[in-house]
Amino acid sequence: MNIFIYEWKSYRKSTLIWSLSLAGLTILLFSMFPAIAKDAEEFKRVLQGFPEPVRKAIGLEIDSIATILGFYSYVFLYVSLCGSIQAMNLGSSLLTKEIREKTADFLLTKPVTRKQVLTSKLLAAVVSLILTNIIFVTAANMMASIVKTESYSISAFILISVSLFLLQLIFLAIGVLVSVIVPRIKSVLSVSLGTVFGFFMVGIFGSAAGDEAMRYITPFKYFDPAYITNNSAYEPAFFTLGAGIILASISVVYYVYSKRDISI
Amino acid sequence: MSVIEISNLTKTYGKARGINNISFTVEEGEIFGFIGPNGAGKSTTIRTLLGLIYPTGGSAKIFGKDCIKYGSEIKKEIGYLPSEVFYYENMKVLDLLKYSASFYKKDCSKRMHELADILDLDLSKKIDDLSLGNRKKVGIIQGLLHEPKLIILDEPTSGLDPLMQQKFFDLLTEENKKGATILFSSHILSEVQKLCDRVAIIKEGEIVTLEKISTLKESTYKKFKIETAVSLDKEYFQIKGVNDLEEDRGTATFLFKGNVNSIMKKIAAIDIVNIWIDEPDLEEIFMHYYEKED
Amino acid sequence: MNLFFRELKASRKSLILWCIGILLMVAGGMSKFGGISSSGQSMNELMGAMPKALQAIMGTGSLDISTAGGYYGVLFLYLMVMAAIHASMLGSTIVSKEELEKTAEFLLVKPISRNKVITWKLIAALVNVLLFNIVTFVSSAAAVEYYNDGKNLNGDIAILLAGMFILQLIFLFLGSAIASATRKPKSAASLSTAVLMGTFLLSIMIDMSTSIDFLKYLTPFKYFEAKQVMFGGGLEAVFLILSAAFILIFLFATYKFYKDKDMAV
Repeated sequence: MNIFIYEWKSYRKSTLIWSLSLAGLTILLFSMFPAIAKDAEEFKRVLQGFPEPVRKAIGLEIDSIATILGFYSYVFLYVSLCGSIQAMNLGSSLLTKEIREKTADFLLTKPVTRKQVLTSKLLAAVVSLILTNIIFVTAANMMASIVKTESYSISAFILISVSLFLLQLIFLAIGVLVSVIVPRIKSVLSVSLGTVFGFFMVGIFGSAAGDEAMRYITPFKYFDPAYITNNSAYEPAFFTLGAGIILASISVVYYVYSKRDISI
Repeated sequence: MSVIEISNLTKTYGKARGINNISFTVEEGEIFGFIGPNGAGKSTTIRTLLGLIYPTGGSAKIFGKDCIKYGSEIKKEIGYLPSEVFYYENMKVLDLLKYSASFYKKDCSKRMHELADILDLDLSKKIDDLSLGNRKKVGIIQGLLHEPKLIILDEPTSGLDPLMQQKFFDLLTEENKKGATILFSSHILSEVQKLCDRVAIIKEGEIVTLEKISTLKESTYKKFKIETAVSLDKEYFQIKGVNDLEEDRGTATFLFKGNVNSIMKKIAAIDIVNIWIDEPDLEEIFMHYYEKED
Repeated sequence: MNLFFRELKASRKSLILWCIGILLMVAGGMSKFGGISSSGQSMNELMGAMPKALQAIMGTGSLDISTAGGYYGVLFLYLMVMAAIHASMLGSTIVSKEELEKTAEFLLVKPISRNKVITWKLIAALVNVLLFNIVTFVSSAAAVEYYNDGKNLNGDIAILLAGMFILQLIFLFLGSAIASATRKPKSAASLSTAVLMGTFLLSIMIDMSTSIDFLKYLTPFKYFEAKQVMFGGGLEAVFLILSAAFILIFLFATYKFYKDKDMAV
């Protein structure tokens, strides 16, 4: 418990900064919605002059961007990019900071098992993420109800929002996994930025190319807002995959960390 | 009862040597010195005892319990002071000590302030702003505040001024009198000599010798310095047991180990002006163990 | 000079990793080109009429993604993001690492002035950034030529990458200036990244809405956009001047702050 409290305290400031930045970004993005919705309506009229197949191909996107959920689905990508960096940072510095600051000697000569240390640290990180999500979802909800033009499915909206938390859990797990496999990470930030942006770009090109297989590679595509909007549910296959990644990474982390030599 | 029992402990890092087949025991209530030069394996042994690294062979028990299996349980009664102290940044001394105390299920605040008074440490400062010596003090306090039954010190005196060192030794002696067992690793022999009952000398990952400090001094060399009226034959003292013989214009110095009578007879047979017979200090014994194979 | 080689060596591994990332990115990205190129003529016409937000959502802007060059323009945005991350991390860590790894005491007691220290460090960083740029150019030129039915677009790509190099310089010196100015060496890299993320997100918002177009001067990601550089008249003077100003200011700040800095021990 004391480790949990200490760890949580050390995350307080960065959690606050991240939460406020995410909320700020969300508010900014939503405030652009009215103008964009108007543009989209006008464009729909222009679209009448184009042949039927073209209208079909592109019309769907136009219709969706003019709705809160459609717009949210689109901008959510950038919110999730930021959120993932936060989670990956948390995860990869979880254990490496003990080694970099040479405090592992302090902590691990106390009467606690390594499993307890790891559990407390993970819990503290998860609490930090939960807090960020509460602030983010509140901001998103508030903005959505202010700028909405017509009513929208609250459950789909919440499900999309909560997928940020799930995505963060995945990146947290990946982050910790990376940190036990490569214990002497010099720059946590470059590792997490590299990983997150890597997945992010794979996601963008995967969807640009309509490549279905790519969806399995990048967590950014596990929670497809379009599917959530239509079904008010997550895709079972990808939800399971995400949970599987988290479980597998965390198990490996527990196993490796309890066997590992703490070098000087 | 043995507080620490190390049997055939081995730790290798890949091909590099760590420690090889180390065995010794530390009895309850003693101050046990563990000496050797840098890189001999002192820290490796201690870190294995504390479960920071895992042995590749052999085992170690503390309080009769395996130090890996029961790691968290036995650590309740261990206080540890690492050679390098780096503690969490952005934390005040008091916060760190409270954090440290929170791991032990007892109230340590009284002892904490006592120790801070003795060592003259300002608890309200930030750890980042402390000097090396003051950081060391923080390390000492966090290692002792829960009144552990076993205190493990890894080269603890570096960075402390002589006055503080003395205070620190007094503290240790006091803890020892209260019943604490102390494992004290160092490469500075005088401090080990001052403090310890028994000593293990480690060299290149192996224990070279393990003796009581008193026996170590007795059973080894005595230093002879003899002044004679006339220059002696260079080879006069070259008998069994004599080492490092030097002869310079009527002054002979050498180390002797063996039956004292044999050398006394040799001395009695000549006319001497003056004689000094000294116990060697640990330093010289130590050098002896280390130079032997070079 | 010894310091220069030391820095080059220290950054060698990460540069290699980044270059592998760039190669994967260019090769992987361009290999998707075949999949999209079939969309045809009317699509482009339509794109032109589309509001900005929708273009941004379609992921293409006003680029014609049915040509290899236009498609590469889309990819280029992400290459710029990678280059900017690399440059800002490099700039901030090359300065702050002496304090982080407690080697400042080692280095700064040597008979070498702080100005020289920072000069050699920055030159080493420049070499890194340049190599990064060259790898990007060579791989891009080769990939585009391959997918453009053997016709190369080296001229266009060269201008694009010249723009990218300027962007790299801006972020490199931004990183080094922040690392020199901050009293907490640990937060140097995070701060530079925060600025980078902020400008990146701003550029995306500008893509979405015409009403905040004037903010484009604030984000270097808008200075050298592919559609402008490749299909609209090359590098714009106003952005070049702005870039030069930023680079000089950051450079000056780096020297100034580093010289006056109390090293954290």
